[in-house]
Amino acid sequence: MSRIETIISELSSISNNPRKAMEDYKKETGKGSVGVMPYYAPEEIIHAAGFLPVGIWGGQKSISKARAYLPPFACSIMQSVMEMQLEGVYDDLEAVLFPVPCDTLKCLSQKWKGTSPVIVFTHPQNRKLEAANKFLAEEYRLVREKLETILNVKITDEALNQSIETYNENRKVMREFTDLAANYPQIIDPKKRHAIIKARFFMEKSKHTAMVKELNSELKSLPVEAFTGKKVVLTGIMAEPNEVLDILKDNGFAVVADDLAQESRLFRNDVPSGTDPLYRLAKWWQEFDGCSLATDAKKSRGPMMMDMVKGSKADAVVVCMMKFCDPEEFDYPIYYRQFEEAGIKSLFIEIDLETTSFEQTKTRVQSFSEML
Amino acid sequence: MFTMGIDIGSSSSKVVILEDGANIIAGEVIQIGTGSSGPKRVLDEALSKAGLKLEDMAKIIATGYGRSSVEEAHKQISEISCQAKGVFFLVPSAKLIIDIGGQDVKAIRLDSKGGVKQFFMNDKCAAGTGRFLDVMSRVLEVNLDDMAEYDARATEPATVSSTCTVFAESEVISQLSNGVAKENIIAGVHQSVASKACGLAYRCGVEEDIVMCGGVAKDLGVVRAISKELKKPVIVAPNPQITAALGAAIFAFEEVRGANK
Ligand code: SF4
Repeated sequence: MSRIETIISELSSISNNPRKAMEDYKKETGKGSVGVMPYYAPEEIIHAAGFLPVGIWGGQKSISKARAYLPPFACSIMQSVMEMQLEGVYDDLEAVLFPVPCDTLKCLSQKWKGTSPVIVFTHPQNRKLEAANKFLAEEYRLVREKLETILNVKITDEALNQSIETYNENRKVMREFTDLAANYPQIIDPKKRHAIIKARFFMEKSKHTAMVKELNSELKSLPVEAFTGKKVVLTGIMAEPNEVLDILKDNGFAVVADDLAQESRLFRNDVPSGTDPLYRLAKWWQEFDGCSLATDAKKSRGPMMMDMVKGSKADAVVVCMMKFCDPEEFDYPIYYRQFEEAGIKSLFIEIDLETTSFEQTKTRVQSFSEML
Repeated sequence: MFTMGIDIGSSSSKVVILEDGANIIAGEVIQIGTGSSGPKRVLDEALSKAGLKLEDMAKIIATGYGRSSVEEAHKQISEISCQAKGVFFLVPSAKLIIDIGGQDVKAIRLDSKGGVKQFFMNDKCAAGTGRFLDVMSRVLEVNLDDMAEYDARATEPATVSSTCTVFAESEVISQLSNGVAKENIIAGVHQSVASKACGLAYRCGVEEDIVMCGGVAKDLGVVRAISKELKKPVIVAPNPQITAALGAAIFAFEEVRGANK
């Protein structure tokens, strides 16, 4: 196995088995893990405490018990998170960090059924005011305090600034990776790309950085081969389960960039420099744009994606619409119009973590490839 | 030269045999779909009607939900592309296709050359599909083929939910027990199907000519309701159930001709 294959297979196995990653971390450091719900929680605070931040993104699952607690029109990802809560999947976590930028999360945060303590905090939506930074820094101060109590550690400013640097380094390396992956679709297919990115959620960040850095330099040493398929940009919350990515691959598509909340949105901006770490983390939210969960009066998501399409020489955009996600559904008609006006082709597919039959997705993707 | 298009849907199987990319020699439909004996039977029927053998086909292309299970086919093409091809062949002025089949609703926008410009499909839900009408016809004890006639006599269409077949079914049952006339309920059912399909059409952009195909296009009550909702005339494709199979047969012809050039 080449070094590239080894790195990819290690990262894929971590992304497929978070539980083992948590156990390994415990063995190595003696410390446990803290769950991080989507979206945009300041993971750096957990990292600075020496604990492992673990992303909670649900999973492919049939839903039964969760029906008792959620309306049928709650988004697919939170249905699966609820189902897993009820199964006790998250009970080994020392705590769970719970941001609430959408209505579903707001409601769900008040009915956590696991046994771990939950720390809820709010992202301000009137984001462009200085007061928003102050408010959020204060929220983060409370998060830090609660974590200190639960984990019984002191989280110093110094450690936190250090963790921010570690995370910024990871963000930089990830941006480099996604750019490189676009040039090597024969090696980094959609599923591998996703696994390499997803492994971030279950690894101490500097370790992930080191592996992806090495992968990047191995990739760079290879010649770029011509790609005969079509290139697409993905947008939405997430592009799971893997079957969806396989369907893209089988129909000759390469993912050359993404605007997914689970992927590039998390690392396209660095945390800005400064001295007060909590203020720096808060400022990140102010500078962040192009996401359905962050109020944006200018509606810059469409233009940002169009730049992405241009920059990555993509043929089209694939909209991965999380089933029953209202923030994403509300954004869609706005950027869809902008795409139409600019002559950018887009495909709409539905992301449903409960599904086991992918015939509809296959038909849509095949038709789209025939259309392009 | 003969080519064949096979369209295996969820609730029907269709075959078209085409001569020289222009003349339809056979266009057969059997009202059972993928996973049944339908595909084999319709294939045999079409061949016997045309007086031809499978070996006479220069190329066979499969489409539809069950396209990957057709062993006889040399290739598969999605039903969106085939539908567009077939409808454009029959109605060259078509700009928007509304295709309602057994379990899918699709709106397809065409460019002036008949190429697919954009398309939208329903979510995984039977509301607004042929299956929905099947359920309603059973509850109402009215034959599917008679639904349009009932609809034409409606005086005040009832309201029927377009979001969920199960809800709609219980709505219809309670309206029946409240004594609402079947005619009005059926008109409501048709409106409900139309609102689902028109939602997709609006997403695509509505431009004339609008052509309807798929099994449900045979129900003129649905066609009327769609036309009313879009406030535009709707053309029903000739023999609307076989348009995708026809498109597949045309693709097969073009591919053979392209290869022989
Ligand atoms: S943003 Fe959408 S997918 Fe995410 S929790 Fe909220 S409703 Fe669900």
